[in-house]
Amino acid sequence: MTNKKKLDSKALTLLCEKSKKRVVQVGEDKVLICMGGGCIASGAQEVKDALQKALDGEKLSKKVSLIDAGCLGPCARGPVVVIGKDKTFYQKVTPEDAKTIVQSHIRDNKIVESLLWQDEGTEKPVPVQMDLEFFKRQTKVVLRNCGRIDPVSIEDYFGCDGYQALSKALTKMSPDGIIEEMKASGLRGRGGAGFPTWKKWSFTRASEGDTKYILCNADEGDPGAFMDRSVLEGDPHSLIEGMALGAFAIGASQGYVYVRAEYPLAVERLEIAIKQATEYGLLGDNILGTDFSFNLEIRMGSGAFVCGEETALIASIEGKRGEPRPRPPFPAQKGVWDKPTVLNNVETYANVAAIVLNGGKWFADFGTEKSKGTKVFALAGAIENAGLVEVPVGTVLGELIYDIGGGIPNGKEFKAAQIGGPSGGCIPKQHLNVPLDYESLDTLGAIMGSGGLIVMDDDTCMVDVARFFLDFVQEESCGKCVPCRVGTKRMFEILTRICKGEGREGDIEMLIKLGNEIKDTALCGLGQTAPNPVLSTIRYFRDEYEAHIKEKRCPAGVCADLVRAPCQNACPAGVDVPGFVSLVGEKRYSEALLLHRERNPLAAICASVCFHPCEGKCRRVDLDSPVSVRGIKRFMTDQEKEMLVPEVKDNPELAKRKIAVIGAGPSGLSCAYFLARMGYKPVIFEAEDKAGGMLVQTIPSYRLPRERLDKEIEMIKKMGVEIKTNTRLGKDITVEQLKQEGYEALYLAVGAPSGMNLSIKNSDAKGVVDGIKFLREFNVKGKTAVGKKVAIIGGGNVAIDVARTAVRLGAETVTVVYRRTKEEMPAYEEEIREAINEGVLFEFLAAPKEIEVKDGNAVGLRCSRMSLGAFDSSGRKKPVEEYGGEFVVAADQIVAAIGQVVEAKDYADTKELALTKKEYVQTDPTTQQSSVEWIFAGGDVVTGPSSVIDAIAAGEQAAMGIDTFLTKESHVFWREEKANDTDFDPDADPVEFKREELAQVAADKRKDSFCEVEQSWSESVAVKQAKRCLRCDYRETVECK
Amino acid sequence: MAKEQPCLCTEEVSEQECMERLESVLKEYKDKPDALIPVLQIAQTIFGYLPEHVLKKISRTLDKPYSEVAGVVSFYSFFSTVPRGKYVVRVCLGTACYVRGGNNVLGALKKELSIDVGETTEDRLFSLDVGRCFGACGLAPVIMINDDVHQRVKPAKIAEILKEYRTVEEKEAIANDK
Repeated sequence: MTNKKKLDSKALTLLCEKSKKRVVQVGEDKVLICMGGGCIASGAQEVKDALQKALDGEKLSKKVSLIDAGCLGPCARGPVVVIGKDKTFYQKVTPEDAKTIVQSHIRDNKIVESLLWQDEGTEKPVPVQMDLEFFKRQTKVVLRNCGRIDPVSIEDYFGCDGYQALSKALTKMSPDGIIEEMKASGLRGRGGAGFPTWKKWSFTRASEGDTKYILCNADEGDPGAFMDRSVLEGDPHSLIEGMALGAFAIGASQGYVYVRAEYPLAVERLEIAIKQATEYGLLGDNILGTDFSFNLEIRMGSGAFVCGEETALIASIEGKRGEPRPRPPFPAQKGVWDKPTVLNNVETYANVAAIVLNGGKWFADFGTEKSKGTKVFALAGAIENAGLVEVPVGTVLGELIYDIGGGIPNGKEFKAAQIGGPSGGCIPKQHLNVPLDYESLDTLGAIMGSGGLIVMDDDTCMVDVARFFLDFVQEESCGKCVPCRVGTKRMFEILTRICKGEGREGDIEMLIKLGNEIKDTALCGLGQTAPNPVLSTIRYFRDEYEAHIKEKRCPAGVCADLVRAPCQNACPAGVDVPGFVSLVGEKRYSEALLLHRERNPLAAICASVCFHPCEGKCRRVDLDSPVSVRGIKRFMTDQEKEMLVPEVKDNPELAKRKIAVIGAGPSGLSCAYFLARMGYKPVIFEAEDKAGGMLVQTIPSYRLPRERLDKEIEMIKKMGVEIKTNTRLGKDITVEQLKQEGYEALYLAVGAPSGMNLSIKNSDAKGVVDGIKFLREFNVKGKTAVGKKVAIIGGGNVAIDVARTAVRLGAETVTVVYRRTKEEMPAYEEEIREAINEGVLFEFLAAPKEIEVKDGNAVGLRCSRMSLGAFDSSGRKKPVEEYGGEFVVAADQIVAAIGQVVEAKDYADTKELALTKKEYVQTDPTTQQSSVEWIFAGGDVVTGPSSVIDAIAAGEQAAMGIDTFLTKESHVFWREEKANDTDFDPDADPVEFKREELAQVAADKRKDSFCEVEQSWSESVAVKQAKRCLRCDYRETVECK
Repeated sequence: MAKEQPCLCTEEVSEQECMERLESVLKEYKDKPDALIPVLQIAQTIFGYLPEHVLKKISRTLDKPYSEVAGVVSFYSFFSTVPRGKYVVRVCLGTACYVRGGNNVLGALKKELSIDVGETTEDRLFSLDVGRCFGACGLAPVIMINDDVHQRVKPAKIAEILKEYRTVEEKEAIANDK
C-alpha cells in the first residue's frame, strides 16, 4: 500500500474503470460476508474462518474468494453471508454451517434451504437477497456501498465511482456550484434538527476569515442509533469524500472527525481509509493535482453524551470540558478556535458525494415536498428484523415496522415506537400511518432525530421508559445550566417515585409544568429536548401514569415494586397464579382452589373459557413457551369433590344493608360473592330464567359444560346470595322501585345482550338472523332453526360460537366472512383453530355488500374482496375494497355477529346516569361508582363486549366500592398477598418439561355433539406442567438496583 | 490523532518504562493546542488509569493549570483516576438494551462479581461499568468486555461468559509460572 502514485483526475477515472470489476457482480465466484459490528458480535469472524477452511478443504480457495463487507443491515439475522454468483442470502450462519454452504452451494450448486430467510408473510424461504421484503423495499443512497464492498479497500470504493464526485467538483465546479447543487437537493442535516445543509455551508463560506474548519459529528450518542457507526465501519470513504467536498465548498483546508470512544472498530477503519486516501493524493496537499488542499484528522470522544451538541463538541475538540455555550455566535461565524466552522453528522456527509455526482435534482426526487432524500433508521427493540434500513423520507411508520421490520416478535402487540432518542418522543399505534418526515413527526410531539427507532411491545411500561430517559439525561447533563442540571433531576425523582408506587396526586401536572419550563430555559439542545420523552408519554399514555399513581398498578408488569409476578399482574382479577400453580405442583389441590377463589370465585368456569392473559405475560416464554395456566386450573377445579367455599365473615350489621345486583352474569355473580364474603346478603335480579348471563345464554356447552357453571352458581347461593330469576329490570322492577324497597346500593351488571343490526341491502330478508339471538335461542330453549348453508358475518368469539354450533346442528357448509385477515380476528386463536378443524370455512378479506334474495328468502351473501391498506387508528391495516372483486357466498341462513350493544337507557333514567360516547355507563375505574351515587356498574355494560375475567374483576372492585360507600370503611380482607410456602430452590435449573396443551376430542367425533371438547390431563401431567412455573413471585434477598 | 498504542497495562511493565512512554508522547504533543484530551487518552492506555502524579506531569508539561486537567478528567466518563480491572465489563443500558432486559443483566453481573457499578474486583481482573448504547441495538441486550461485544446476553449466561476470561487468565498464569 505504500508509495502509491498521487492521482490526478484522469488517472482516477481510469482506476475507477479498472476497479469496477472488484465489486461483486452476479455470476462471480465470490462470497460476501458481513463484517459489520453486529455480525462480528454474532461470530462472523469464526464463520469466515470456517468458510476459508472449507474452501481450502475442497480445493476451491483459488477459484472462490471471500470478501469482508460492511453492514448489510439485518443485524438480528447475523452472521449473514451472500453468495456472489447468484446473490443467495444466508442468515444466522454458524461455523458448522460453513462447510455445508461450501460443499452444497459452492461445489454442487445446491442451495442450502435451511439457512435461507423465511418470508414473514408467505412463510416460504427466499433465496435471492433482493427478493426479500427487507431489502426490496429499501432505497439506498447513504448506505449505497455498505455491504457491497470491503470497507478497508479504497480500490473497492473506486469500483463504485469513488472520489469521482470530488474529481468532478475540483475540475468542473465552483464552490458556489456545489452549494447550489446542495440547495437543489434539499438535503437537511441528518443529526436531528434537520437544518438545511446548503444554508449552513453558505453561511460558513460567506463568513470572513482565511482559516475555516469542517467537522464531522460521529459522536453518535443517542441510545438506539447506530447508522453512523455502520457508515464508518462499512463505507468510510464516502464520509471522507463528502467532507472533502464540503471543505472545498466552504473553503476549509482542515477537518476533524469526532468519533465516540465506544466505536473502536469505526475508528480503526476510518484511520485506514484516511491513510489510503492520503496515499492516493485524495487528501493532503494539491488534491488530484489541483491547488485544493485538505487534511483530515480523527478526534476521539471520551464518553460524554453532551458532546453531540455542536458547541460542546467544538469545546471537546479544542481539548476542553465538553460544555455547550450559548448561540449566537453560531459555529458558522465562530467555531473551532473561533474560526468559521461547518459541522454535520456522518449520515449527512455520506449523502454529499452521491448528490454532487448525480445532481441535486436526482436526490430531490426521493422524499416528500419539504423533506427530501432518504433516511437511515436503526430498528431495534421488540422487532423481528432489528437492524439498519434506508427508506425515502416520508415512508409510513407502519410500513417500516411491519413490511420491512417484519413486525413484533413472540406474538406480542405493538405499543409504541420511540423515535429520536432522549430528545424525541413516542408514537402510539393509532398513528402507525404517520409518514416519517420532519414536519409530520413534529406535529405528533416526536422528532426525526438521528433515526433511532425503538419498537416497544405491550411488555413495555411507558412510565418506566420515561424514567429511563430522564435517568439518562440527568446523568449526562453537563451541569452548566440550572434548568437542565436541577430540573431533570427533579423530574427523575418524581418519575422514580411513581414507578415505586409512591406517586402523588398532581405529579403528572408537575411533570408537565417542569418539562415545559426546562424546554424554554435550558441552555442547549440536550436540556431543551430532555423533557420530550416524558411529555410525549404523558400525552399518549396518561392512563398508564394514572394507574401507577392512583391504583398503584403497573399495567405492563414492569415496575418491580408494583408487580409480584407478571402473570398475576396481567390477571384483571389479580389471581395469585404462581401461588395456585405451585400448590398444584405439590398436589395440594384444595388449598390451590381456595387461593384461587380468594380473588376469583369462578375458577371452574375460567378454566374453560378464560382467554388467559396470564399466559401472555409468562416469563417462561423467553426460555421455551408459557406455563399452561389454564390447563393447570382445569385439572385443579376437576379435583373439587366437595364444594370449597372460602372464608365468609359473619357480620350482622352488614347483613342488614340491602344491596341489589342486576344481572347474574359473571360480573354480577362476582360482586355478590365478594359482598357475601364481607357479610352482606345481596340479592341478584336476573331477567332470564337461569343464572349465568352470557355464560349460559351464548357460550356453547361444548366449551363450558353446564354442570361446571351450575356448581359455582350453587356455591355463591350457599354463601347467602339470593338469586331472583325471571325478573327483568325496566319491566318487572325499576330502579325507583328498588330504592323505595329500601335498597341502598345497586350494582348494574346487565351486560351487552343485544346484537348490532346489520345494515346492508335486504337485511330484513327471511333467513337473516342475529348471532346473539341465534345462540341464546339454542342455549336457552335447546333448539333453533339452522340453515343448510350458513354464512356468518364477523370475526369475534360470537361468530365462532355460532359457526361451531351450526356445524353441530347439522349445517352442510358453514362459512365465516370477515373483512380483515386471520391475524386481525378478535376471536381467540384456539377457537379459530378448532373451528377450522371442525370444517368451518373462512372467507377472509371479504366485506358483505348485500343479501341476495329469492322469493323473500336469503339465498346468498354478496361480498367485496378487500385488501389491506393503510393503518387505521386501531393500529391495524384497514381493509379497502378491491376494484371488481365481488363474489357471492351461497347461503340460506345469514348470521350477523358484528358486535353487541348496551341498552343502558332501558334500565335507568339516563338524565342522571352519565354515559360514555359509545353509550356505555361511565364509572370511576377504581370503585365502579357511576354518576348516580348509589348506582355502581361493571362488566360489558361499562366496557362494551369484553372478557369473562374482566367482568369478574369489575364485580370485585364494585363490591369494595359499595362497601366503602355504605360504611365509610373497608371490610375487604382478601387483597393481602398470601405467603407462598411451597418448596422452591432458586438455584436449581428450570425443569425441562415442554408445555402441554389440553387434549381435544377428535373433530369427527365431536362435530355432532355438544359434549365438552377439551379433556383434562392426568395427575402426573398436571403436576409436571405446574412445575414449569419459574416462580417469579419468589424474592431473593440480594441487592439489585 | 492518537497513534495506536500497545496496551501496556496488562503486561508487567515497570513504572519507569511507563513514564518514559509518557515522556515521549508529551514531547510529540507538547506544542499542539488541542493536545490535552489525546494525551490523557494515551496516558490512560499506558497506565491503565490516570494516577495523580501522571496528571501533574501532564499539567506541567502542557503548561495547563492542574485544575483544568482535573476538570477535563472528571468531565469525561472514560477517564478513571482509580485503577481498573484488566477486563472492563460494560453493560449497555441504552434504550434498546434497557427494554430488552439490560437491567437484569446488570443485576446478575453485580451478583456474580460481588461489586457495584464503578468498582473493581479484588483480584483486579474485572471492573463493572454501565454504558449508554454501543450501537449494537439489533442484538440487545449487549455487554462489552474490553472491546468484545457479547450479544443477546441473558442473566443466566453471565457466569459462562466470565468464565471464558477467567480461563484465559489461568492459562496465562500457568504459562508465566513455567
